[in-house]
Amino acid sequence: MTAVRGASDAAGLGRTRAVAFITPGFLLIGAFLVFPALWTLYLGVTDYRLTGIAAADPQVVGLQNYTDAVADPAFRRSLVLTLAFVFGSAIVGQTVMGFLIASSMRSVPTPVKVVVETLVLLAWILPSSVVAFLWVAFLNRGGGTLSAILQSPGTAWLLEYPMASIIVFNTWRGTAFSMLLFSAALSAVPPSQLETARLAGAGAWERFRDVVFPHIRGHVLTNTLLISLWTFNDFSPYLLTAGGPNHATETLPVFIYQRAIYGGELGYGSAISLIMLVINLVIALFYIRLLRERAS
Amino acid sequence: MASIELVGLSKVYAGGVAAVDDLSLTIGDGEFFALLGPSGCGKTTLLRTIAGLEEATGGRLLLDGKDVTTLPPGKRDVAMVFQDYALFPHMDVTDNISYPLRIQKVPGEERRQKAARTGAGLGLSHLMDRRPGQLSGGQQQRVALARAIACQPAVFLFDEPLSNLDARLRLEARTFLKRLQHELGVTTVFVTHDQAEALAMADKIAVMEAGRIRQLGTPSEIFHRPANVFVANFIGSTPMNLVPGALFGDRTEGEDDVLVGFRPEYTRIGTDGPYALRGKVAIVENLGASMLVSVQVDGQSVQALVPEGEEPEVDTWVLIAPDPRRVLLYRAGDGELLEASVQAAR
Amino acid sequence: MTTPGAVVRRILFYAFLAVVAAFWALPLLWLVFAPFDANPGLTVKLPDVTLDNFRRLGESPYALSSLRNSVLIAGGTMVLVTGLSALAAYALSRVRLPGRNMLLYGLLLLSSIVTGTAAMVPIFLLMFEVGLIDDRSGVALVLTGGLLPAAIFILKDFMDATPRSYEESARVFGASPFQVLRHVVLPIARPGLATIAVWSLVNAWGDFLTAYILLRDPDKSPAGVVMYTFYTEGGQANLPLISAFSLLYALPVVVLYLFVNRRYGFRFHGGIKS
Repeated sequence: MTAVRGASDAAGLGRTRAVAFITPGFLLIGAFLVFPALWTLYLGVTDYRLTGIAAADPQVVGLQNYTDAVADPAFRRSLVLTLAFVFGSAIVGQTVMGFLIASSMRSVPTPVKVVVETLVLLAWILPSSVVAFLWVAFLNRGGGTLSAILQSPGTAWLLEYPMASIIVFNTWRGTAFSMLLFSAALSAVPPSQLETARLAGAGAWERFRDVVFPHIRGHVLTNTLLISLWTFNDFSPYLLTAGGPNHATETLPVFIYQRAIYGGELGYGSAISLIMLVINLVIALFYIRLLRERAS
Repeated sequence: MASIELVGLSKVYAGGVAAVDDLSLTIGDGEFFALLGPSGCGKTTLLRTIAGLEEATGGRLLLDGKDVTTLPPGKRDVAMVFQDYALFPHMDVTDNISYPLRIQKVPGEERRQKAARTGAGLGLSHLMDRRPGQLSGGQQQRVALARAIACQPAVFLFDEPLSNLDARLRLEARTFLKRLQHELGVTTVFVTHDQAEALAMADKIAVMEAGRIRQLGTPSEIFHRPANVFVANFIGSTPMNLVPGALFGDRTEGEDDVLVGFRPEYTRIGTDGPYALRGKVAIVENLGASMLVSVQVDGQSVQALVPEGEEPEVDTWVLIAPDPRRVLLYRAGDGELLEASVQAAR
Repeated sequence: MTTPGAVVRRILFYAFLAVVAAFWALPLLWLVFAPFDANPGLTVKLPDVTLDNFRRLGESPYALSSLRNSVLIAGGTMVLVTGLSALAAYALSRVRLPGRNMLLYGLLLLSSIVTGTAAMVPIFLLMFEVGLIDDRSGVALVLTGGLLPAAIFILKDFMDATPRSYEESARVFGASPFQVLRHVVLPIARPGLATIAVWSLVNAWGDFLTAYILLRDPDKSPAGVVMYTFYTEGGQANLPLISAFSLLYALPVVVLYLFVNRRYGFRFHGGIKS
């Protein structure tokens, strides 16, 4: 056919109507995404509170919120916990499990594949508060299924091993995405290349290293970035532990909630939010740059 | 019925690319007109400009004497059949055919009857309730045609009407389309890159390259008397021989830098003549009832089409000579036809 | 291949699969058995089958009303997201607007960065100042704003892949732009629209944070929040209630997923089309 014509106004909409079409959507985006992000810049340098003197008359306090944050051991701990959470459940947990399951499913009869994939997907699509309770029940000291199986009544997993618990939980919860992604990526590896390697005598590990991995390497990176971004912003630890016991699982999202919404320190909370936004920005830019490199 | 006139029509895209470059031509009322050329030559852009889907950046377009250059597409009284037929997948054949009438606010019952009549005329009566997805390629094409016919436009525009059909169907469809157009008598402009198709179907052809018309004429004119080397190369199922004049010694008078053009169809092996050349047979290709013989003359390949059984052996030395009445001389510099030679040839 | 090494590898492989399947299934099994158990515990056990637990739902003042709230909020979000993103995606796909590419790039960036968590504080304050705190429509608006960028992106991609010849054909036959949209574009875009509708519905249905911070009145709270209060309020957890409730809350999502998967084979995996 003839060369690509780019955006051709096929229905004859015209510029004015086109602008009218995009306006309502972009207004909402502006109000609830752009504006809050920008407002954080301002709020973060005030001492905004919901009650008390500062509520009536918020003052600009410059960078005090930020210096407070850096000095605040609770914030630093929260940051560390979040990094551990992301590393454990996303970078290691979901990526590895997602890959292992995806590659296993390729050599397994269809009924098994359907069952396993459905289970993993269900964990991902069920509402978060339901899933959280399922794990609260599962990990319960007295009556939980895990204790029943391991014959170790008396271990309150969520209290004694809180970080491990939420890391395992989040791996369970989010593996489906990586599984789907790797499933597609593995299917895209040209079978003829695998067969060439096989004929040349390469074993399973060599075939993986020389044929499969080069093809999926890009996907591994972008996938990891994306799920790290999501996990970094994940609020579900709150549903399991509310940040406890004693702040042991207070990842950044939970920290912000406790201090800003629950505790009313809106100015301080905004500063932390801005830090989160910046970290998100860095990860997202990296991700998009990688996507574009791959596309070209 | 309408004539179409293009006066200095141009379509220049941002960045300076002229898809249609200052074109002027007239298409007569009832004519079956072909826009022929390689991909990217601007023929589809020109068709879309006539339809109104592209806005001309210069010049004028007249339909039946009326200036429609700035008229929106729905108001030009043209019907267009796209290469992919663009049959609405969610409507059945009846609704597809009657769609233009629906826009014209023709009442429902009348629409249905009109669609049924038009469909019957194209052999679609038993398919009127089907969806496009349930039709074969040939059937889809006929539905698209019926839709164009049903609104009784002044002009038909076809964008590569036969390319989506299998090779076998294509030949049948060619005859079918030509007969249909003749019966309806509607001015038709169609776009194609297939020179055989254009030669077979059209009353008049415009051969295009890079937004300009390289030659305008009847199929016979274009085939027998290509106006330049580009057209000579493009037309004909086997490429025209274009041999530098130098190979003929001093038999070509006048200008030194000529290209001597003659079709393999009018070239013989073994006979002598004013334009005979001597060379070694390199390849013989079997084309069924005839054989395409390639002879190497001084490093140049010259081809002749000979009846089966008369082909020479490979690696033998032969005489290869065109019918002198069919020889055309082209100026090597700009590829244009030299008038003098045409008189001598015919 | 029956070398001992191969056999061992096979056994290990299936052992691995068994562990994987068990790991994923065990927590889920509670949701399958407990709602139908006359005496549900926290462990997964075979039920003493009954439907009584579902009758108990009426006893709680908030259980059924919260499901209704979920329907309202998620439904509203779905309508807004689908409608607004369809309009924007079509215009962005078909009309050459200045700065279009930058807009789209910005959209992609924005949706990744400004998450519910990162925007928690300013959104809370914004809704407070605007007076939409404790208002279900406020929740729907915020959710819509968050889902729109991705929805527009996906739908625009979808529209780009749809040939323009349908619209052009209708236009040459004299249809006005709105007729083209109504007769041609809408029917053809249905699969894409359905996908976005289901996706936004499921996302809004499962939302916790936005409703949690913006709503005060338990009468207005959707199922996600009420579920949380059920298992965190003091005293003995009312397991019959929780089990029945969580099943009802979870079921629509499962049903929708199966429906979409069967109908359109929709599998969204971060950019690799299969």
